[in-house]
Amino acid sequence: MKIDIKLLKEIVDEENVTDNIADLYVYSSDASVHTKLPDVVIRPRKTEEIQKILKYANKNKIPVVTRGAGSGMSGQTVPIDGGIVLDMKKMDKIIKISPEDVLCKVEPGVINDELNRVLKPYGFFFPPTPSSGKICTIGGMIGTNASGNRSVKYGATRDAVLGMKVVLANGDLVTLGSNTKVDSSGYQLAKLMVGSEGTLGVVVEATLQISPIPKHRAMGVANFATLQDAGKMISETIASGITPSMLELMDKIAITAVNNAQKLGLPNVAAIVIFECNGMVKEAVEYDINQIKKVCKKNNGTGIKVTHDEDEMTKIYTGRKKLFPSLSSYKDGLFTTALADDMAVPMSKIADTVQKIHEIAKNNHLVMSAYGHCGSGLIHTKILMDTNKKSQWQDAKKAVKQVYDYVHSIGGTTSGEHGIGFSKGPSFKEEKKDSLEMMKSIKHALDPNNILNPHKLMDSPDDWLTATPLRYQVDI
Amino acid sequence: MAKNTKKTSKSKRLQEYEKQMNMCIRCAYCFEKCPVIKEVQWDTDGARGKIIMSYGLLTGDLKPSQYIADKLFRCTYCRDCMDRCPSNLEILEIFTNARTELVDAGFASDTHKYIINNIKKTGNIYGDTEVITPEQKGKIPLFIGCQYLGRPNKTKKYIKILEKLGIQPTVVKEICCGFPMEVLGFKDEYEKHKIDFKKQFPYNDAIALCPTCTVFLKEGHKIKAKHVLQVILEKIPKANLGLKVTFHDPCDFSRGLKIIDEPRKILEKLGVEIVEMKNNKENSRCCGGGGGILMTDQELSNDIAKKRIHEALETGVDMLVTSCPTCESTLKKAAQEISEKEGKTITVRNIEDIIWRGLKDAENS
Repeated sequence: MKIDIKLLKEIVDEENVTDNIADLYVYSSDASVHTKLPDVVIRPRKTEEIQKILKYANKNKIPVVTRGAGSGMSGQTVPIDGGIVLDMKKMDKIIKISPEDVLCKVEPGVINDELNRVLKPYGFFFPPTPSSGKICTIGGMIGTNASGNRSVKYGATRDAVLGMKVVLANGDLVTLGSNTKVDSSGYQLAKLMVGSEGTLGVVVEATLQISPIPKHRAMGVANFATLQDAGKMISETIASGITPSMLELMDKIAITAVNNAQKLGLPNVAAIVIFECNGMVKEAVEYDINQIKKVCKKNNGTGIKVTHDEDEMTKIYTGRKKLFPSLSSYKDGLFTTALADDMAVPMSKIADTVQKIHEIAKNNHLVMSAYGHCGSGLIHTKILMDTNKKSQWQDAKKAVKQVYDYVHSIGGTTSGEHGIGFSKGPSFKEEKKDSLEMMKSIKHALDPNNILNPHKLMDSPDDWLTATPLRYQVDI
Repeated sequence: MAKNTKKTSKSKRLQEYEKQMNMCIRCAYCFEKCPVIKEVQWDTDGARGKIIMSYGLLTGDLKPSQYIADKLFRCTYCRDCMDRCPSNLEILEIFTNARTELVDAGFASDTHKYIINNIKKTGNIYGDTEVITPEQKGKIPLFIGCQYLGRPNKTKKYIKILEKLGIQPTVVKEICCGFPMEVLGFKDEYEKHKIDFKKQFPYNDAIALCPTCTVFLKEGHKIKAKHVLQVILEKIPKANLGLKVTFHDPCDFSRGLKIIDEPRKILEKLGVEIVEMKNNKENSRCCGGGGGILMTDQELSNDIAKKRIHEALETGVDMLVTSCPTCESTLKKAAQEISEKEGKTITVRNIEDIIWRGLKDAENS
């Protein structure tokens, strides 16, 4: 692909453009299993630069992939068609904090935890709480509609995005959404952008709703001898009218992995559920957490502990936060791969789904852990396998399909918060087969030359295993 | 459709770490406080980027080049990434082997080669044949290290402090611990040097003055080494210095040796109040002086150091104390520059100065 590097250097200054093979190699991958070299990586600093870059790319039909921390797990930021990678980390200004309007305006390269650090003195926080919050960017969170352990109470990124400024494929800058929580002024285009994984535009500014930091919180943990009991506990908690601020499940494999890597000494049980309640009134928090305790007991929970101590809460939560990368310590020779990494199912089907995941893993000679923000029906899993063996990849391909076929069969959806990229493309297209043409029409309307993150989502290849090289040493 | 092909490893040095590199799930958690990536902001410059490049060298997807060498040597070895990596990867081991790979391929910098030649010819990093080791017979082997040998007054002070506390150090004519050879990618040279080192310093237990030497005596030479502050804490008397300072935890102290309380307890005993910086203890922010970066990337090193001085200035105290000679000189330089350009002043001192003053104060009272 012929790219005018000289022109790009004129747009963003020489120090912000690289086409050195070492840089391209690093930017060829993210936290997914895929890798594909871009042709150039650019670090824009302002909106006008992005407009110029997109105008040039659109005219010359050069793909453009937007990237924050590159921590996406489904290949969202892997440049499957080469082209330009826009590293957005230099656009990291917090433009405005408006506690009186309960909002803030930020550039897309702002890191989630950095935003929260700045909001804290005002008594506010940005509620989606991804586990990768210390390094993930607001832009990336918008791209995937990220959420985290507090999604059960606060929802996902889309729920907290009020508006944004977006550069479209043709270089036009548009303002979408508003500054208000309610907005019935036409199509909700800002909400459409959230979760579009960089395929419809490049977000250059976001208006975000912030939430007051709750004055009180309490956290609890309960152990369960069976997944069924844990699943029932989760389902009954949500149905009871109590709104916990966190409801997390960890299965046996997750527990083992965390103990191996973090040495936390978690109990050897079928499932652990971590729950949290927060709010402005201590007595209300107390009431809620005690109600959840009762639900735990009713469903055979053991070792039930509740704490109001911040250090204890941090300790309880540490293992969960580092779980995903800890999975590589589960067994020597098995490596964590971000495959079938998330899904969302109806609440009443959580236990069955976790059970099914274990069954599919066994049938396909793999190890799969199930954990996640089950309070919102979200389940994470990872496939642990010998990445050097071709047969394991074939098994993984089958397992991924089987997992999502099951998820769809019970009324669930392919992704709850990590997004589709192209790792989950085939299953996503199967789930959304009725609306694929609608999505393609929208994409074509906004990006007729298909430059923005092409071959992702509804346009993703039919076989994720061979869509790009893998970042592992294996003959496929 | 893309064909994925298994490649024959092109790197003997990195083959041993293939598993580690596969365990890296590229989560980017290592970015959180990496001092280099905070300044430079290219993914390539963070730990994840370096691991990916190392993987490329392993598979042959990347050929050794000056560009890659520059990137891989752009690391202060602050260990922050290792503390944050949830997969507990031996990140610095991977970097060291990748650096060795590049040195083998002819991409060592002239400055680094100069340092290594100095060590080979004279036993110290300065190439100084006249470095005088204050040899003496005592009861406990003391390893001084190049940094303190190059600061003879500080060395004398530390020895006098130990003697005042009733500790009789044995000091022998020594050669460099060899850490620069290892970290700068001269592993073969280090393996030869190790033999000479053992002859010069034939002890299984020792005290060391420099945090980096202490770590390396333990990890590289398998000597049961303690840092001198751990020994001083056991015997330091009370004093009433009435100072208010901030303490900079050297990376090799708080993350390498996990020594966090000892300097604080010493200062407390001497009547020194500590106002902590925002990033302290195991989260201490690097001074920018380690990993060989001082020799080849002075501007970056200085930028990192200035950030740390700004953090110190935010505490409102007028003195920063540290316990590493490299941190002291790096931060002193940055403090000087900030004083000249911004008019904000903070004095940088090594802890042995404070201990010395404390002992004098204790004697007088």
